[in-house]
Amino acid sequence: MNAPIVRLGRTASFALLLFLPLPIVVIGATSFAAAGYLRFPPGDLSLRWYVEAATDPRWIEAFVTSLGIAAVVSVLVTAIAFAGAYACHRLRPRWLPAFELVVMSPLFFPHAALGVALVNVLAMAGYLGSATGIVIAHIVCTLPFAWRPIFVALQRIDGEIVEAASLLGADERRIALGIALPLTRSGLVTALLFSFIISFDEVTITMFLTGPQVTTLPVQIYAFIQENASPVLAAISTATVVVTLVVVMLLERLIGLEFFVAHDPA
Amino acid sequence: MRGATSAPRSLGWLLLPALLVLALFLGSVALLLFHAFWNKDGFSLIYFRQIIDRADYHDVFLRTVSIAAIVAVAAAVLAYPIAWLLWRLPRWRNLLLVIVLVPWLVSLVVRTYGWLVILGPKGFLNETLKWAGVIQSPLPLIFNDLGVVIGLTHVLMPFSAIATLSVLLQIDNRLEEASESLGAGGFETWRRVVLPLSLPGVFTGLGITFLTSMGAIVTPILLGGIRQKMAGTQIYQEVVYNFNMSKASAWAICLLLLSGLGLALLRAVEVALVPKADR
Repeated sequence: MNAPIVRLGRTASFALLLFLPLPIVVIGATSFAAAGYLRFPPGDLSLRWYVEAATDPRWIEAFVTSLGIAAVVSVLVTAIAFAGAYACHRLRPRWLPAFELVVMSPLFFPHAALGVALVNVLAMAGYLGSATGIVIAHIVCTLPFAWRPIFVALQRIDGEIVEAASLLGADERRIALGIALPLTRSGLVTALLFSFIISFDEVTITMFLTGPQVTTLPVQIYAFIQENASPVLAAISTATVVVTLVVVMLLERLIGLEFFVAHDPA
Repeated sequence: MRGATSAPRSLGWLLLPALLVLALFLGSVALLLFHAFWNKDGFSLIYFRQIIDRADYHDVFLRTVSIAAIVAVAAAVLAYPIAWLLWRLPRWRNLLLVIVLVPWLVSLVVRTYGWLVILGPKGFLNETLKWAGVIQSPLPLIFNDLGVVIGLTHVLMPFSAIATLSVLLQIDNRLEEASESLGAGGFETWRRVVLPLSLPGVFTGLGITFLTSMGAIVTPILLGGIRQKMAGTQIYQEVVYNFNMSKASAWAICLLLLSGLGLALLRAVEVALVPKADR
């Protein structure tokens, strides 16, 4: 008697699931339409918008800037998070819960408020409108996301391995780099790829910090939508989707996606 | 590594880079407070008084809170079935998870642009409906609050789905089996066993989506238009066009306070609804 209800629920759920990638699919379809807009029935196909995007130095520059910033941010924030989380893990300070709360606190700030706060501090340091400023801001925003998987991975290490290494004469450097680092590999890769993708796609906070000297791809997309919604945007947007998709697939292949739905042990 | 040989205190130096990052963050919050209460004339509450006195500013904050509340509830309701589906299909979970995660991680400016292409006056939906003869003139789907709600809800649905799924995955399979062996059907089991146990995940999702909507800028500007102001768009305008850091900071503090109030209210509802053992 209940079977039809369950089946109906399942069909409706599938429809909702397919609703999620809908705007991305629409943009992808538009980017290949010669007319430059999507209509029904569809018109001719063409790569002209991709050619136009690839020959415009403004888009190339923004694309390279975004990739570069994301690469620097992901490496730095992963190193910072590993060093900090490792120290916390070994020393187990009494104030660890309070410290973790501070690490996570940027997550509790609405982005508009976080944007203003970061403008204030970066303007004072003279980094407004520079790539350095954007890197610093992105490190602040991605630290919570890098900290979590690394700290969880550290806690899974068997304490006896460290003890054995210590008894056999391994010094602290050897324990940190020869044991803890390789054993937290899954957490490190997750932190690296996750922070890369957040930095690459971030727009709300970044648009407070860009200037005439430097802009990122998402911020430039935003500026172009406001000026003139040229179909080139569909081609550029599809390129960012491809970058995101590649990183997610990489994460799936290397580590798996369970991290995203794992229950917080804290 | 619990119980390992006692670690030397010099390891504490490894915390230094993280502490620097946190000092920067806390410093930026301190500067936010400073700018909000001090301008070139010294201590001043002028921008807070402005927010309290001006009716048009009341409207902006009211619109921000209402839209954030509507979006949070809509995202929770629409994302729940998605989480349920992923939970019920463990063999397909990885593939389906990619369908949830990729739209979540793709830049929100790209997703918002997608809605512009779909819902615009000459967008895909209006053109298709016109072609099919359903409508004569385009429906006003964007440049109003409806467009903002549609865009933000879609942008935030993956958050809600992931928060709910992570709690669903904690549920002991035997509870369901017990319920069904006692004669409850699939729907009855969901309503009386699964739903109550998954509520903490739903509430986590509500909190994240409410908070994110409160601070949204890009989606409200692009889908709402310039006149449909939200707190985030006003703050952005003060910083980038008016260079008024004091006013922007005062607004940011009001936004923070309202968000905190919203989260506290949500928490109170959760405490009232969810049994203590499950929270």
